[in-house]
Amino acid sequence: MIGHEKKLGWGFTAPALVWTLAFFVAPFLVMIAMSFANLEGRTLIWGVHLDNYIELANRPYLLRAVAVSMQITFIVTLASVVLAYPLAAIIAFRVPQHWQRFVLLLAILPFWTSYVIRSYAWLLVLAREGLVNQTLIHLGIIAEPITLANSRFATVTGFIHFFVMLLTLTIYANLVQLSPNYRLAARDLGANTFQIFRHVILPLSLPGIVTGAFLTFVLCIGDYVTPHILGGNNELTMPQVVMVQLGRRADFPLASAMAIVMMGFVTIAYLASARWLRLDRL
Amino acid sequence: MTAAVQIDNLNHWFGSFQALKNISLEIDSGEYVTLLGPSGCGKTTLLSVLGGFLKPTEGNVHIGARDMTLLPPADRPTTTVFQDYALFPHMSLRDNVGFGLRMAGVDKLERHRRADEKLKMVGLVGDGSRRPHELSGGQRQRVALARALAVEPEVLLLDEPLGALDLKLRRTMQDELKVIQRQAGTTFVHVTHDQEEAMALADRIVVMNAGQIEDAGSPRQVYNQPATLFTANFMGEINQIPAQITNGQASTELGQLPATGIPNGEAILCIRPEALCDEGKGLDLMPAKVTDATFFGTYVRVLLISGDAGGLTLSAHLPPGDIPPIGDFIQLSVPTKALRFFPKYRT
Amino acid sequence: MRTIFSWLYLILAFGFIYLPVVVLVLYSFQESGLPVPPFDGPSLKWYDDVLRDSDVTDALTHSLLVAVGSSVVAVIFGFLAAYGLARYTFSGSPFIRLLLIAPLTVSYLIVGLGLLIVLTRVGLGLSLVTAGIGHVVINLPLAFAIIFASMNAKQENAERAARDLGATEMRVIFFVTVPMLMPAIAAAFFLSVTLSWDEFIISFLLTRFDITLPVEIWSMLRSGLSPRLNAIGSVVFLISVAVVLILEFTVLRKRHL
Repeated sequence: MIGHEKKLGWGFTAPALVWTLAFFVAPFLVMIAMSFANLEGRTLIWGVHLDNYIELANRPYLLRAVAVSMQITFIVTLASVVLAYPLAAIIAFRVPQHWQRFVLLLAILPFWTSYVIRSYAWLLVLAREGLVNQTLIHLGIIAEPITLANSRFATVTGFIHFFVMLLTLTIYANLVQLSPNYRLAARDLGANTFQIFRHVILPLSLPGIVTGAFLTFVLCIGDYVTPHILGGNNELTMPQVVMVQLGRRADFPLASAMAIVMMGFVTIAYLASARWLRLDRL
Repeated sequence: MTAAVQIDNLNHWFGSFQALKNISLEIDSGEYVTLLGPSGCGKTTLLSVLGGFLKPTEGNVHIGARDMTLLPPADRPTTTVFQDYALFPHMSLRDNVGFGLRMAGVDKLERHRRADEKLKMVGLVGDGSRRPHELSGGQRQRVALARALAVEPEVLLLDEPLGALDLKLRRTMQDELKVIQRQAGTTFVHVTHDQEEAMALADRIVVMNAGQIEDAGSPRQVYNQPATLFTANFMGEINQIPAQITNGQASTELGQLPATGIPNGEAILCIRPEALCDEGKGLDLMPAKVTDATFFGTYVRVLLISGDAGGLTLSAHLPPGDIPPIGDFIQLSVPTKALRFFPKYRT
Repeated sequence: MRTIFSWLYLILAFGFIYLPVVVLVLYSFQESGLPVPPFDGPSLKWYDDVLRDSDVTDALTHSLLVAVGSSVVAVIFGFLAAYGLARYTFSGSPFIRLLLIAPLTVSYLIVGLGLLIVLTRVGLGLSLVTAGIGHVVINLPLAFAIIFASMNAKQENAERAARDLGATEMRVIFFVTVPMLMPAIAAAFFLSVTLSWDEFIISFLLTRFDITLPVEIWSMLRSGLSPRLNAIGSVVFLISVAVVLILEFTVLRKRHL
């Protein structure tokens, strides 16, 4: 009977497990192996070579991509948290209960659009002849259009737009779970509004912040579309370098090595935030 | 439909914890049996074994004449009323009650007819198309009962069926359960930790503790002549008095008392509070000092201290006449047949 | 005072969030050929233009096929795994749970890259099917997590009651488990559909001749700003929003029951 139970359990799990092993784990392992392979001319030589990683460390433009990606990711994550928290708090504490769900739904509706379309939409807004430049000229603030698109500013703006919505969702979900009695108890014990926030609400909403920030980090560092459409070619991020290696030279080994480095940063971010992560609660 | 149940030498381990120890029990067909005990005593485990949800490590279960030990729940002539009712929230009451019949391939018309009949039997007349979430706790309980009875089981298993109800509703439902059981004629095995519920319902109470059967008998028997000190305690308030037995005589703080047939040595004397009286019937005890007296409607509960200094605290349920003043000494007495002796420290 | 500040912030935030969306949709109705101010519409000519373009309509059909197909597979596999892991204990089950969730923490780019390497090695041609395989990889963990999280003792007890009343294992799943978990299953399905519908990088890497809509849009982007792109973008956005709204108003609203 115990054996039978075991078999049934495995049987139900098998399709998902086989799929994950075949199309996720195996490709991932092959990619790791690939990062240690060498490309000589057009032939691939398997083995344990560190050439790709050495190249990564020695080519300035590759190193630069790592730095650019990290800078953008940190700025975006930090700015998104700072901008999203008040929004989530206002929806959770100021908006009447009955309307909260609706306001939240509305606030994150554009979240459900393709990266491609969202980035294109920002290009429209920030273009040389776009809405922002024309409005500023019209108001007499500037005389000539300024460069907004094709810059790091545009990339960061596009990212923040997306991740503010994501973080609003995770932080809101955390805030509404807090019993209102925490605030009442703190006020009863003499805390002022700032103290309540600093000592009660903020620590209790840390899981929501960290979970959202972690997802932001993962999605931001790995996104190719936003920097490619909005950032132009002045500076490349890691995903852009990966795609360049794939597209221009079909250099799978170097692309894989870069992808592994990206994974490394995600792993570090995961370890740093694991204590507060609540991925299961999403 | 009804059948007898025979349980032989059941043992069950969860890992290294032995949940059932050598359980043997016979239940007559049509009998209402309650398994009574504190939480963790193994009563629910035993019910799960009867229902087929658990395969016992050792031992056998026969229902009717067939060995059921290894059969899954679906193949047994038993159904269970679960503690949380486990009603299907996405089905109407009628579909809930008719579910077992549907599984047995009964056609829709017949199924609905029998479901409505069972709903009526448990006192739920009216709209069978309602959903469980529209009902009160007591009504859900009735649906769960109707659902379990609809497949006409030979044995109905009830796992703390009234546990989620408030006290008043629980007492009402007890009366109804008893009526329904008589009407259906089915063997009922009912798990509870509430001794009042057990006494109100059972033809026979099986008292369990630490995986073992402590006692089994009619409510009167387990209450008045408990087989063990544990049963004596669990069935209601009781006074425990240390005693020293020498040749059929017990010497206690309350005086010398007859203890015929009890082996020499240390023992515990048990006396129910209502067996003590102040009207001089039976054996006279040493006078005791009143320390508290509370009116309970049908009786006055008096707390007393025997002897002078730091003696034993006794509880007596006296008739609700005059409330004795605190500090007074009363002469208590007890009928010989109300004395129960147990060997010391076997709980 | 604080309340005024709150409302002001809320309005500004909504302004920021909706600014690109409004510009996108507004200039899809532009009359002239450049989607920038001043607005000279409204005109439906770009929608007409786009919907006559067989490349676009083909891509739209492909996207729908991949989204629905991959979501059906992801939800079925996800449900079965959740059921198996929630109802049966067997050695290694905590590890399997982690393994099934793992793709959630990996960039789509990496999932796509890994699959691309393997598929080209194996010699399997790139097509909508390979893109669909990739989408199942990213949606399966989500479907599994959502359905697994909503499995609890309530269904387990109902399943036990159904078995007690004579239901076979298959009937328990079809009559009790699936209906009781319907909100979670539907939520997982609609979420998968939206994510797959909007997904770009995996489709980009794993398709060749038949492509999905985001990839089609990507290739159109090379010719710069155009009201045609605004029109397609608005259609794609509208469909995503429609799926999310269906999810919200049919499934999640009823969830408390």
